[in-house]
Amino acid sequence: MLTIGKVIFKPADILILFAASILTLWLYSIFWFSANQQGEAEILRVQFADNPPLEYTLSEDRTIVLAGKIGDSLIEIKQGKARFIHSACRNQFCVFHGWLTVAGDSTACLPNRISISLKSALSDYDAIAGSQ
Amino acid sequence: MKLHFTTTHQDHRIALLAALAITIHIIESAFPSPLPGVKPGLANVVTLFTFIRYGWHSALQVSLLRVIISSLVLGTFLSPTFLLSLSGALLSLVSLIVIQLPFNQSSFHRHQPSALGYAVIASISHMSGQFLVAWYFFIPHPGLFQLLPIFITFAVILGIVSGIITQLLINQIQQRKL
Repeated sequence: MLTIGKVIFKPADILILFAASILTLWLYSIFWFSANQQGEAEILRVQFADNPPLEYTLSEDRTIVLAGKIGDSLIEIKQGKARFIHSACRNQFCVFHGWLTVAGDSTACLPNRISISLKSALSDYDAIAGSQ
Repeated sequence: MKLHFTTTHQDHRIALLAALAITIHIIESAFPSPLPGVKPGLANVVTLFTFIRYGWHSALQVSLLRVIISSLVLGTFLSPTFLLSLSGALLSLVSLIVIQLPFNQSSFHRHQPSALGYAVIASISHMSGQFLVAWYFFIPHPGLFQLLPIFITFAVILGIVSGIITQLLINQIQQRKL
């Protein structure tokens, strides 16, 4: 038994604390440190305004031009990675985000209503596309 | 016509404890939080105390009264906040009941965890319940799970704090023979 001040800890408490710390560490290990938990990135998914999502394979290099409300946005696919290379918006957050490399990576250009994300063959459709 | 209620001593006790929990809950909601969803959860000290002293029946009533009445006062009744609060409260109580099950046998009773152990269980399951409801109903995106370890870390730390507070409370009350 362990006492801190007037509080007595019983063996069951110590067991619970131990289990809680194991649980916490385990959660960190699955959600933060396991590489490629979603599989290899294979598909670039582009959600543009109200259109149905477009999908491009990452194995072919190409440049996608999307004419949005405020101007053109250019998305580049190269060597299995994707990025925004040009945007008409003021803040350029999407361009500064740089390359998307692993499945699950995503970035967006809100002024032009574009969001892009990488998918693996394993990952199914997430719910964002379905929500209005 | 006059309405008559016969109230028992237990009803009075539950009303008192619920009032206490509601007050703490409302005061707590006035403080800004560093992370949405992370609160000290001091109102759960009351629930936990009730659970340990008077059993899960009373704790369930106190907990439901707290969630419903404080949401009515704060104006969040039936809103997402209310649903999160309710799911957390219910899941934490269910897991407390489950944890206590093996200790209900008299030979094992003295080995049951103190308030600290119960508090950690309650706060982890409270957080998980809220998190799952938030993920399932409001933000169904797998990326949300990256936040789960942080939330659980906070839950463990705040659970330890509220467990110590509850145990001190129980010690005090035992000394004064209330």
